[in-house]
Amino acid sequence: MFGVSINNIIDIDQKYYSMEDYQGDVPRWCPGCGDNGILTAAQRLCREEQLPPEKTVFVSGIGCSSRFPHYMNTYGFHGLHGRALPIAEGVKIRRPDLHVFVNMGDGDCCSIGTAHWIHAIRFNMNMVVMMHDNGIYGLTKKQASPTSPKGTKSNTSPKGSYLDALNPTATTLGVQNVSFVAQAVEWIPELLYEIIRQAYKHKGFSFIRIMQRCPHYTPAMFDPLMSNPENLVMVTHENGMQMSDALKKVYKNVVTHDPSDMSQANYYANMTDKMPVGILYKNENVPCYEELRKPERTVTAKLKQEALEKEFDKFGIMPTE
Amino acid sequence: MADSLIAEGLEKYFNPETTAEVKAIEGTHAASYAAKLARVKVVSAYPITPQTTIVEKLSEMCASGEMEAEFIKVESEHSAMACVIGAESTGTRSFTATSSQGLALMHEELHWATGARLPVVMANVNRALGAPWNIWADQTDSLAQRDTGWIQCYAESNQEVLDMIIQAYRLAEIVMLPVMVNMDAFFLSHTTEPVALPKQELVDQFLPEYNPKYKMDINDPHAFGGLAKPDTYMELRYNIQKSMEDAHRLIPEVADEFEKVIGRNHGGLIEEYQTKDAEYLIVTSGTITGTSRIVVDQLRAQGLKLGLLKIRFFRPFPVKEVQSVLGKIKKIAVIDRNLSFGRCGIFFSELQAALYNCECRPLLNGYVAGLGGRDVTPKTIEKIVNHLIASEKGEDLIWMELNI
Ligand SMILES: Cc1ncc(C[n+]2csc(CCOP(=O)(O)OP(=O)(O)O)c2C)c(N)n1
Ligand code: SF4
Ligand SMILES: [Mg+2]
Repeated sequence: MFGVSINNIIDIDQKYYSMEDYQGDVPRWCPGCGDNGILTAAQRLCREEQLPPEKTVFVSGIGCSSRFPHYMNTYGFHGLHGRALPIAEGVKIRRPDLHVFVNMGDGDCCSIGTAHWIHAIRFNMNMVVMMHDNGIYGLTKKQASPTSPKGTKSNTSPKGSYLDALNPTATTLGVQNVSFVAQAVEWIPELLYEIIRQAYKHKGFSFIRIMQRCPHYTPAMFDPLMSNPENLVMVTHENGMQMSDALKKVYKNVVTHDPSDMSQANYYANMTDKMPVGILYKNENVPCYEELRKPERTVTAKLKQEALEKEFDKFGIMPTE
Repeated sequence: MADSLIAEGLEKYFNPETTAEVKAIEGTHAASYAAKLARVKVVSAYPITPQTTIVEKLSEMCASGEMEAEFIKVESEHSAMACVIGAESTGTRSFTATSSQGLALMHEELHWATGARLPVVMANVNRALGAPWNIWADQTDSLAQRDTGWIQCYAESNQEVLDMIIQAYRLAEIVMLPVMVNMDAFFLSHTTEPVALPKQELVDQFLPEYNPKYKMDINDPHAFGGLAKPDTYMELRYNIQKSMEDAHRLIPEVADEFEKVIGRNHGGLIEEYQTKDAEYLIVTSGTITGTSRIVVDQLRAQGLKLGLLKIRFFRPFPVKEVQSVLGKIKKIAVIDRNLSFGRCGIFFSELQAALYNCECRPLLNGYVAGLGGRDVTPKTIEKIVNHLIASEKGEDLIWMELNI
């Protein structure tokens, strides 16, 4: 028998989505690749928030990290190198009802897609943007990226890269209409999840730079951060990232920072000796482009209902005088 | 570098007099060594598979001092081409390399390099365009740049890649037009073959120092990139066409000159193989040519009068050359690893157009094969030949080995 059974309809309404419901293909990242942890955090967020897969879309560019949408059992768009953000903007402007997530690499975001990144901040569309920063072009096999620390030896910089690394959080903070900037490390899953959750809750363009290990090409890049937890500055606040007491025992370098304070946010973003983790900046009052430009629909639901009722009244039983 | 680097037994393939060293290298590295031998001073690029190893090798040679050049790793292909345009404007011989999506991204500046009359030389690895993502061989990327005014050539072997790039600089700097040297993804780019690196002093003799008439020079100031109104623009386009026509004439001359100095000649705009008494002919470009040679030999041994025409230059298109060869043939099969949607294989349509004004028009079949890196095997080519022989009427588009 075909047809929609009433049980199915009830099922759709009341379905509880488990982690498995968000899992797509089996990830083909290298063993130990930090992208795996980011994927788990994203799937966990979807489950905790019970985001219907058909109302959720993950957009990416190209790179190892951009394989992300293949591994999510939601809508996905594996885009062109550097173009994830404008593609996501196109989706959002027409379907503001969808939960839009963007995953891109440091090459995607800070090299070929830089112009899009700057302008996406200014548009401030409501989406969660995860920049997987492994400080290298992974997919094309080890070429220095703009976020590679100065001196990084790679296949295009055999004697070490010549330039200071680009600072993605400081850059984002410098753009008009910036509304949410955070920094995370994927090897502390609890905080990664917490930051992604806050980014999701924030209405606007939520930019998270996630330090992501690439054991294949930059195995030692985060050693100083991983071997000495004091090198991480945990930026906490009641309106920002919060930490469990257990974590505070490991990561003792905890500071309080009100994320509405732009000048302090800049201070943390520009730290050079240590790596801040947390929500650096948050401003709920920046308008989202899709709302600024929300078209005034001439045919509203109310209008339709009135018209229909008028029609039906013609055939209905007229009240007797 | 010593002459003795030619391994024993290889002398019959590589002239010890002109060869500094025979190296077993991939097509991408053949391109890198060519740029080095051409003494380029600026290399600007962005990595993309399967071009990456071209620029990695160059960056290595720049960093080690083996090459006296500045390697600048920019943030996209668009920037790479812009950077090379800037460098060439200062009168500096420059090089870049890309593939597929990267070439597409350069499109705007490809026109600019031509219009600004900058003799940029670029290696392009022919790779399929997305969507869907595919990193394998397909010529549609470069053929889609047909009307940008770039001279375009297609290599069959790693040696040809190297020799073509050196010759490309010579040609480009005479006619003041950019040149794109193409090689098939993986079949050439990542296949190791022995390649003779000519002696530097001979390359220097063949390719004099670059000294353009106009460059950014404080003692001879000029403005660059100005506005040309309707009263001059058309004449500037006419000049480009005339230079293309000059290139047509010069390509075989440059090849002959190269042969005099270095001792190798891969042909002019086309190369004929077993065409003299041929009744049937295969037309190819790139690596399908090598496979076709084998099939031609095999079928000739069975008594079939089959020949092969390799198109080396697509722009300028060898109209008069193909007319003179094809006019004598009964039936012709053009094999295209590329496609213009809504029409047919791109080499096919160019050839067909070239023959329209010919007195004798042979039967012409267009076969599209091997898109997105699918193998074109000797069997595929045999099938094509059998189909051709049985054909009674020419067909523009015949799909080979389609799984539908
Ligand atoms: C226009 C264009 N240029 C180059 C490439 C080749 N390419 C693919 S991914 C990539 C860089 C990947 O680095 P990143 O964005 O940091 O991602 P990761 O692989 O490190 O996750 C490059 C250069 C491409 N696909 N398209
Ligand atoms: S190369 Fe690096 S970034 Fe890519 S999958 Fe492997 S570990 Fe991850
Ligand atoms: Mg990266």
